[in-house]
Amino acid sequence: MKIKFILPMLAIGFGSAAYAQETATPLQISGSVDTYFKYDFAKTGNINTSFANEQNSVSLGMIDLALKKTTGKASFVGELSFGPRGQALSLPNAAGGYDETENSFHIQNLYVNYAFSDKFSMTAGYMGTFIGYEVISPAANFNYSTSYLFSKGPFQNAGIKGTYAFSDKVSLMVGLFNEWNQYTATRGVSSIGGQLMISPVEGWTAYINGLHGLDAYGSYSTIIDLTTAYQITDKVKIGLNAADLSAGDDEFGYSGVALYPQYAFTPAVALGLRAEYFNYKGISGAPDASVTSFTLSGNIKAGGLTFIPEVRLDNDKKLYEGFVKSNLAATKTATQFSLALVYAF
Amino acid sequence: MISVKAQTENKLPVDDRGKLIYYELVDLKSTPKDSLKLRIVNYLKKKNSGLKFKTIVGDTSFIATGKIIISKTLLVMSHPSGEVLYNFQVEVKDGKYRFWLTDFNFIPYQRDRYGNFVPSTNVGIPLEENPGKLNASQWKEYLEQTASYAKDFGAKFKLYMASKTHVAVPVAENKVVKKTW
Repeated sequence: MKIKFILPMLAIGFGSAAYAQETATPLQISGSVDTYFKYDFAKTGNINTSFANEQNSVSLGMIDLALKKTTGKASFVGELSFGPRGQALSLPNAAGGYDETENSFHIQNLYVNYAFSDKFSMTAGYMGTFIGYEVISPAANFNYSTSYLFSKGPFQNAGIKGTYAFSDKVSLMVGLFNEWNQYTATRGVSSIGGQLMISPVEGWTAYINGLHGLDAYGSYSTIIDLTTAYQITDKVKIGLNAADLSAGDDEFGYSGVALYPQYAFTPAVALGLRAEYFNYKGISGAPDASVTSFTLSGNIKAGGLTFIPEVRLDNDKKLYEGFVKSNLAATKTATQFSLALVYAF
Repeated sequence: MISVKAQTENKLPVDDRGKLIYYELVDLKSTPKDSLKLRIVNYLKKKNSGLKFKTIVGDTSFIATGKIIISKTLLVMSHPSGEVLYNFQVEVKDGKYRFWLTDFNFIPYQRDRYGNFVPSTNVGIPLEENPGKLNASQWKEYLEQTASYAKDFGAKFKLYMASKTHVAVPVAENKVVKKTW
């Protein structure tokens, strides 16, 4: 019903704008390339959050290519990635499913946007998710490895959304979406989501997000998410992500919080910590299982290149993650270091 | 009192505070102060100059802020890589005025989750800062683009100030082809 209301509005908007004077900007081409080496001290790839999983190997991330064009009030973004990070490790593949052997490329963004006014715009297509702090592209993350909150949450949402900016400090987005990470809806447009952005003071932005509908675990769930970052001084920045996913008592669910303090020694050299607590909700009477994770990363920039040395220590009290020692005996802890190169252009 | 060193093409001089500056003193003999003030107010408030008017000091000094989008341009690609925020000030006297752009601060852009380039921070890096060896060539490009912008901005501003009446650019008429013969 809501879609029946929104789509004609969009059509009318495009129609009425067709004769407006148009100003075109040049086609923007941008992207990134990344590669990494990871070594787990148990000599096995213990930590299995998204990406950077291959043990003792100089491995590939992805090449990411993005196009953007704006003509008048209309714009599009098309972004494709090739390589493990952008293919098998992101969902889905070109055919819309998860198949490592037939994987070809992954669409990161494919959407059209129309700005009806300075305050109101609508977007339709396949978009990076509005949930969470971290993203697929390594060029937009401080740490190279990813958090549990990122790995368990949505990566992308296909749908249609409208955003209204009340001011520079407050905006609201509401949209209708397919299930998580799918180019094509399998059970119809099943989800409704929203995002309230507030910026209480200069340098501090907070996003309060909600998404209810079909998730990647086959449940109709509700995820509530807070993502915020505050640039306190030119050297100190702090970020926070907290989320809760609930799908009823007997379905997959989680909650967690991650803190991201960062210190910039110079504009080109910074150090940042990610401290995360993540809790798997118990299913069918099983107890909860929690993981803590500490990741210390450096960012050394030279032009478009960022070098990211990183050390990570995860602690899994309930042996839920399946960490093992070098003799394959179960263990609660996993430690790894990695060296990553990310070039953004 | 503002003193500046030589202003060469694509390189801004520094003032006595050690800040990069684009400075010009312009003589407009026979133009009264009030007329110049009116033109400045029109330029800052009405003309779409990309400036944000801030305040008037002592009724002869006008202060605004502006933004320069720095683009990364190679053979087949272009996208914004950052912005330079600056302060713009104009002072008037009878028959002359002076203006300067200074306090240039660079804010790098980062591509967000939707593929758009957005500021990665709200705290700018002064363009006078030494970027270090690793980022020297990139920084040189920012300085050159800023200097080019300031020069172009100065030329347009002087042209506007020199005009007694500001007439809108006439819209080109559509040529009508008649088939009578």
